[in-house]
Amino acid sequence: AAGSFPPPAGRGPSRGPAMDLFGDLRRMNKRQLYYQVLNFAMIVSSALMIWKGLIVITGSESPIVVVLSGSMEPAFHRGDLLFLTNFHDDPIRAGEIVVFKVEGRDIPIVHRVIKIHEKENGNIKFLTKGDNNEVDDRGLYKEGQNWLEKKDVVGRARGFLPYVGMVTIIMNDYPKFKYALLAVMGAYVLLKRES
Amino acid sequence: QWKIDDKPVKIDKWDGSAVKNSLDDSAKKVLLEKYKYVENFRLIDGRLIICTISCLFAIVALIWDYLHPFPESKPVLAFCVVSYPLHMFIFLVAHRKDPAGMDPDDVWQLSSSLKRFDDKYTLKLTFISGKTKQQREAEFTKSIAKFFDNNGTLVMEAYEPEVSKLHDSLALERKTK
Repeated sequence: AAGSFPPPAGRGPSRGPAMDLFGDLRRMNKRQLYYQVLNFAMIVSSALMIWKGLIVITGSESPIVVVLSGSMEPAFHRGDLLFLTNFHDDPIRAGEIVVFKVEGRDIPIVHRVIKIHEKENGNIKFLTKGDNNEVDDRGLYKEGQNWLEKKDVVGRARGFLPYVGMVTIIMNDYPKFKYALLAVMGAYVLLKRES
Repeated sequence: QWKIDDKPVKIDKWDGSAVKNSLDDSAKKVLLEKYKYVENFRLIDGRLIICTISCLFAIVALIWDYLHPFPESKPVLAFCVVSYPLHMFIFLVAHRKDPAGMDPDDVWQLSSSLKRFDDKYTLKLTFISGKTKQQREAEFTKSIAKFFDNNGTLVMEAYEPEVSKLHDSLALERKTK
């Protein structure tokens, strides 16, 4: 251990663990401070670019969705994660599971196509129904709308992971938890100095 | 006696990364304040700029997609998504070009290592002559207990001589060659 040295004069009040968070920041020069912020921005940007990249590759505006209800049991359960694609040339056939949005509503719905009308030029009108529902989805469509069209489709299910989506459901049901988690993660990245 | 920022550096002695950072910073200060060298910010600034540009690509993608919703934004999105990871490749190229050393100045490089949960700190000083482009290095490995007291304060009286010894051994070699 180092030899004795004079006790510190005028060091000020002792700091608790909370103040040490900013101790690292205080010792930084302008460049290092900017690097901390940049580091945070890079992490956010990377996540964003991965998501946008998935959107471009799959052609779907929401390539990963969470099943919110039990209307497709036993195929899908609440909390399952679905992976979608929305390729322009994919034909939609009866029996396939599609994710669609009703005009004017934000929340996508995951149901099965049960009826299709198709014209020669490829335009289609189709009807959907949840496997676990008694009736078809006409009650969910817009006032006066009896059929869905290609433009309403967010994508078709290509794969799924069970249960993983429960985290999203919990975070939406308890938004304070979500903000708290994001705040802690953000603070950690911003304040902890990278070597 | 000179001190960093006129105040002794006090960190949590059990926090490995804080220990390493304070030793690294102090070694740098010795070179900058005692030997009056000037820090070369070129490489660091270059990285900062490249990363900032990458973030700009991400911001452009975000805003464009918001104003012109997908699928109209597809080409712009695709461009940004592909451009964003380029910063990683630019770093590789820059790193390989750097040792070419195009300045006539002498270059001193510091590097260090401190393994997780270990107490052995290694500081390596490299001297690259501006004229001959030859490289010489010196290093020491010491326990961090030699430099910090029980409260986690860095004792410069113990650390600074070690750093100076490294520097002087390389500077002396230069004169005798």
